[in-house]
Amino acid sequence: MNWVKKHLEENFIITSLIALVLLFSIITPNFFSLTTLSTVLNQLPALTVITVGMTLVLIVGGIDLSVGSILGLSAAIVGAASISLGLPIWAACLLGITAGALCGAVNGIITSYFALPSFIVTLGMLEIARGLAYTTTASQTLYIGPQIQSIAFPMASSGVSVALIIAICIVAGAHYLLTRTIFGRYITAIGTNETAARLSGIETKPYRAIVLMISGAMAGLGGVFSAAYLGASDPNAGLGLELSAIAAAVIGGTSLMGGRGSVIGAFLGVLIIAVLQNGLAQIGATEPTKRLITGSVIIIAVLFDRWRSKHSSE
Amino acid sequence: MRILEPMFNIRIQKMIHFSVIGLLVLLAGCSDRVENSHNQSGQPVVALVMKSLANEFFVNMAEGAKNHQANSLSDEKTAYQLLVNGIKNESDLAQQVSLIDQMVAAGADAIVIAPADSKAIVPALARAINAGVVVVNIDNKLDAEVLQQYQLDIPFVGPDNKAGSYKVGKYLANHLDAGAQAAILEGIPSAFNSQQRRAGFEDALREAEIKVVSIQSAAWDQTKAADITSALLIKYPDLDAILCANDNMALGAASAIEQAGKSEKIRIVGFDNISAVRQLVGQGKILATADQQAHLLAVYGIEYAIEALQGNSTLIDRTTPVELVIKESID
Repeated sequence: MNWVKKHLEENFIITSLIALVLLFSIITPNFFSLTTLSTVLNQLPALTVITVGMTLVLIVGGIDLSVGSILGLSAAIVGAASISLGLPIWAACLLGITAGALCGAVNGIITSYFALPSFIVTLGMLEIARGLAYTTTASQTLYIGPQIQSIAFPMASSGVSVALIIAICIVAGAHYLLTRTIFGRYITAIGTNETAARLSGIETKPYRAIVLMISGAMAGLGGVFSAAYLGASDPNAGLGLELSAIAAAVIGGTSLMGGRGSVIGAFLGVLIIAVLQNGLAQIGATEPTKRLITGSVIIIAVLFDRWRSKHSSE
Repeated sequence: MRILEPMFNIRIQKMIHFSVIGLLVLLAGCSDRVENSHNQSGQPVVALVMKSLANEFFVNMAEGAKNHQANSLSDEKTAYQLLVNGIKNESDLAQQVSLIDQMVAAGADAIVIAPADSKAIVPALARAINAGVVVVNIDNKLDAEVLQQYQLDIPFVGPDNKAGSYKVGKYLANHLDAGAQAAILEGIPSAFNSQQRRAGFEDALREAEIKVVSIQSAAWDQTKAADITSALLIKYPDLDAILCANDNMALGAASAIEQAGKSEKIRIVGFDNISAVRQLVGQGKILATADQQAHLLAVYGIEYAIEALQGNSTLIDRTTPVELVIKESID
């Protein structure tokens, strides 16, 4: 019984996901296919890793608005390092991820040790990282080419990409971190009630800082995936992506108030957003329609989640 | 520790206040002080107001204008001062409107503007004209009806987007058979240049009897274009071509097509000739794009504005050339 209750959250989202897939399959003939599955899956590594980071930040009671810009910066660095500096792809990618982690560390240290709201610190970083992305690329899209695309393109043997495998490993790792380790228990405690956590002897500051740093590193990795997906560094990449990540996390049952959240749920939230995007494009929906439907789905999903959690707790 | 915290906060607050003031002073020192230069030198001040400086197209435009201004200084007669400004996002209208007001306040004699929106920017331009500023419209043409409402006559200097995309579409059509399937990715649907480019593509395809199976907006964005293209490839497995209203979207489409392993079959065309796409055109991965010669566009506008300031200009529109860029023109 306990098990069912615990997994109801995910089951509910899975049901919505299946409903969405069925709906699109009925409306548009080619939707229900392995090609669609492969396409959708290989589109989502960047959003997935960013959402994992965002979920952890939300659980600890913060928010990270800078992830979209950090993704852009990381992509820019990957492009500039491999083209202008001539570094091998792996080194360029490492540099991008490091840059993301550094931005995240700055976010974390300022938020924690200067006791500022993460909302405003990461809002500042949103501007800074985007500015750096434009500087790094001289505002030009840099074409990298096939050598980086191999990360994001589905492998002929399995239909999945390296990026997708890494993303799924990260989802699994973060789920383990959150549910099976002291670190996970502590950040949940801090997000639920920071004062109580501090009084019970948890040194809260480093945890908040580390979580924001993880989120930055995830955004850096997202930048690598984005550059690989496009085969190019787009300095505008990730514009507004922080909102998609927040939406995916919340659809997946993470509370904006902190203390509650699920990485697996967040991943399912990402899937819902990706299926919606792909399905609407296959239908040929106009831009306004797409926005209307996407917005409505977000609100309805959260409404249902609220309604369900109210009933299941009674 | 807790007792110390408020004091600590006040100190931090003070530190922040001082550093903000310091930054502002620094910035004031760095920026070109126009009023002074205008009064001292007697040179006309031209303000170039563009869209996003995060876009290569406008970066080139600004570069062209700056070089032109630097060259102008060699001769007393042609010398002028230049103020270059762009907005943060392509769609940030409010910022562009306030930029126009700021330029008027800063004492600009002429404003050369690439409007972020064909209609909403007109009232601000009317204010500028009433303040005695010469306004020249470049790049994205202002809406004729709204101009009429405000009884304004603002000359337009810019490329014929429709003729340009028609050229690109025509070149593509020569590589396809009648009855082939094509999809169009347009920019932000409300933008005039997006509408014009789409119309040019459609005309060319219609003449060649090529079927347009889908027209979608990827809002000028590379990632969106890649996502939409992936979906289109599933929905229309026999697709032969994708026409994109700018090069960023063409790059996104190219990546999605490569991912689907259909690079050999599907032809892509773009618009703008950004350097990343020029590379792909050279490699044959993108069939063609169009060059509006951004670096000249602002220059034409500025020259026009200076002519008008000297009082020898009739306010008629001028069309700047759009060139077809194909593999052969790059080699």
